[in-house]
Amino acid sequence: MDLPLVSACFLALALTLYVILDGFDLGVGILLLFQPATASRDHMVDSITPTWDGNETWIIMAGVTLLAAFPVAYSILLPAFYLPITLMLLALGFRGVSFEFRVQSKRHRRKWDVAFAVGSLVAAFMQGLVLGGLMQGVKVQNQHFAGSVLDVVHPLPIISGLALPFGYAVLGGGWLKLKSNLSLQTFANRSIRVSARFFAILFGIACIYAVKIQPSIHSKWASHGIPLACLVGLFVIASGILTTMTEKTRPAVPFLLGLFLFVVGISGIALIAFPDIVPFGVTLWEAASSSTSQTLVLVGAAFVTPMVLTYSAFAYWIFRGKTPEQGWEA
Amino acid sequence: MKLDPSILARIQFAFTVSFHIIFPTMSIGLASFLAVIEALWLKTKKPVYLEIYKFWLSIFAMGFGIGVVTGIVLSFEFGLGFARFAQLAGPAIGPLIALEVLTAFFLEAGFLGIMLFGLHRVGPKLHFFATCMVAIGTVLSASWILSANSWMQTPAGVAIHDGHLTVLSWRHVLVNPSWLYRLPHMLTAAFLTASFMVAGVGAWYLLKGKHQHFARRTLALGTALGTVLIAGQVFIGDILYGTMLKYQPSKMQAAEGFWEKQSQSPAPYYWLIVPDQNNQRNRFQLGIPYLGSIWLTHSLDGRVEGLRNTPRDLQPRMGMVFYAFRIMYGLAMVMFAVGVASLWLRFRGKLFSSRWFLWILVFMTPSGIIATLAGWYVAETGRQPWVIYGILRTVDAISPVPAQALLSTLIAFVCVYAVFITAFLVFAVRIIRRGPGEVPAHAEASGSVKNAFRPYVLDSPERLVNSNITQRS
Repeated sequence: MDLPLVSACFLALALTLYVILDGFDLGVGILLLFQPATASRDHMVDSITPTWDGNETWIIMAGVTLLAAFPVAYSILLPAFYLPITLMLLALGFRGVSFEFRVQSKRHRRKWDVAFAVGSLVAAFMQGLVLGGLMQGVKVQNQHFAGSVLDVVHPLPIISGLALPFGYAVLGGGWLKLKSNLSLQTFANRSIRVSARFFAILFGIACIYAVKIQPSIHSKWASHGIPLACLVGLFVIASGILTTMTEKTRPAVPFLLGLFLFVVGISGIALIAFPDIVPFGVTLWEAASSSTSQTLVLVGAAFVTPMVLTYSAFAYWIFRGKTPEQGWEA
Repeated sequence: MKLDPSILARIQFAFTVSFHIIFPTMSIGLASFLAVIEALWLKTKKPVYLEIYKFWLSIFAMGFGIGVVTGIVLSFEFGLGFARFAQLAGPAIGPLIALEVLTAFFLEAGFLGIMLFGLHRVGPKLHFFATCMVAIGTVLSASWILSANSWMQTPAGVAIHDGHLTVLSWRHVLVNPSWLYRLPHMLTAAFLTASFMVAGVGAWYLLKGKHQHFARRTLALGTALGTVLIAGQVFIGDILYGTMLKYQPSKMQAAEGFWEKQSQSPAPYYWLIVPDQNNQRNRFQLGIPYLGSIWLTHSLDGRVEGLRNTPRDLQPRMGMVFYAFRIMYGLAMVMFAVGVASLWLRFRGKLFSSRWFLWILVFMTPSGIIATLAGWYVAETGRQPWVIYGILRTVDAISPVPAQALLSTLIAFVCVYAVFITAFLVFAVRIIRRGPGEVPAHAEASGSVKNAFRPYVLDSPERLVNSNITQRS
């Protein structure tokens, strides 16, 4: 069996789950910035409080899978994205502690809400920056990072950094439409409509720009033009529905369309990067650890992941339905 | 001034990991404590246990939150600051941490929501199950991470060919020589930490004459658990000392403060030294005569090995290891004394009324955290100059990241973590001042697991109670 390929699939699964699950948590966080009413902000945070921790755990899963299965890639990518990743971790820290601290402090709740929202926004921006940096390509020499930590300060990473918060806001808006009471429906609809528009435009610009500056992406279009064009088509249709018909759909539709948007985007990126794990220079197989290490991770994952998914789903199910007006404990 | 990236990377890792370990130590201890309390509540149906549960749950939740977000940092910091370490050690410790995430982090995260917010939704039995899952998750997590760290202390089961590490035997990596003793040592430390925290807060209420019922229960439980645990810890610590003496003699040589290959006979036990690493001697030393021979060699005139037995370039810094060890060991002895005193006072029926003892307990509230931190400093600074003992030096492990970037992120970490700890302390003190909330007398211990599986969703305790009443009638 091609172990590195299986490990890469598990890594892709963990990353995708992180992006869509913490994506809507971060999106709800970003949207706090645009919600002036304290009671509504409480309601928005309540909708994600019981399950955010599990969602965030997928990023650790992805990071550690990279360390275990592709140590060479891990030790190239983390120094390469030293600044955005460190800032993302600090921002996620602010977001995470604000869940607890905003409840403890009546007087300063507004300040913790700002920390929550800015933390979510900065984390999303930094993740976009890393994505753009990957598509721009990472300088590698002798299996070590050979570029500068400031390589991410370039147009492509910055455009991608600006796009991702809007993408997360689409997911966050979709989640709110699904979980919140009547008073927040208009807010949710507007968030989805506006964010979807900006996300589609910025993501589109980033894609075109990436083809222009990175020859490897250009040649991928030449060799895999049809599947890539199909993905672009699906992306355009989904974002078109989101920007025009959000009000008229059933409550779950915008959220599902948002998820679909992300799955399409991730598939496109995976198609472009494959078979590199550090684009564009180090392949999966060059970066892989020995088969004993791959085997332990994969056997563990094969047994435990189904259980994890089951009880995570159970936790969602316990807190199903509309978020109660007075919070979960009342 | 020329900045050294390897020093900065080390300071950053030391700072972030020291800050982090405070919170898991608390949550490992408190999670198990909460599981015990909830079991007592389910068994006795006494409202005071629900009161204790809810009170400590709010502090647990805050600590757990900080533990999670500062922990994520570490799983990336192996690569951010120590890329060469990650590249070499990834194949050995990576899978261990991956299994930690799979079996422990997800378990904790999946059931934490139910533990914090789900009592009314799932009923007490399933809620108790959730508490137990979180507690088991914390213990499993400690087990995996201690295995990874112990492998760095006493590496085994691997082979290295041209800079690439291959695991030959997972059993030897996982059950490496020091893990078997370091895991119980750390778990006991975490349980001790929780015991002294719980007892300290109870003692404070008794001194203030508030929340008597709550305070007596928690003080009695905290001191009882603390006494048993410290007795065990002294025993485990002694075995671990012997193991480390065998596998990492330089660490224990530094911990005792002697330089000469063989100390004088009888050897004193030093409490205060001013080490001079350059000249391989102490500028000043103060100790209790004979005690070194008695404690360390179990004889009246035994000699103790000094740090000069280790070649100079492979020696750890004596000052750090020595004082970290003295703090840990000193606190353990105070804890032992407190444990003995609590037994005596309990026997005399004065456990709740001896004000001097209550004050001592109040001051001992953070003792477990300080001792645990000091213990980790012994382990980590004593392993230097190695990051993987005998295999990779710390200076050879760092990332190709410029010093300026490391310095600016270090400053950012210090500022952000200062906000976190300040907020945590302010809110914890506020929760303690406010005291345990009144719990309704009808305590919902009568609910059933079926609640969770009902088609409709319960959102208030009244509905839960009402639904039970309608069921019964």
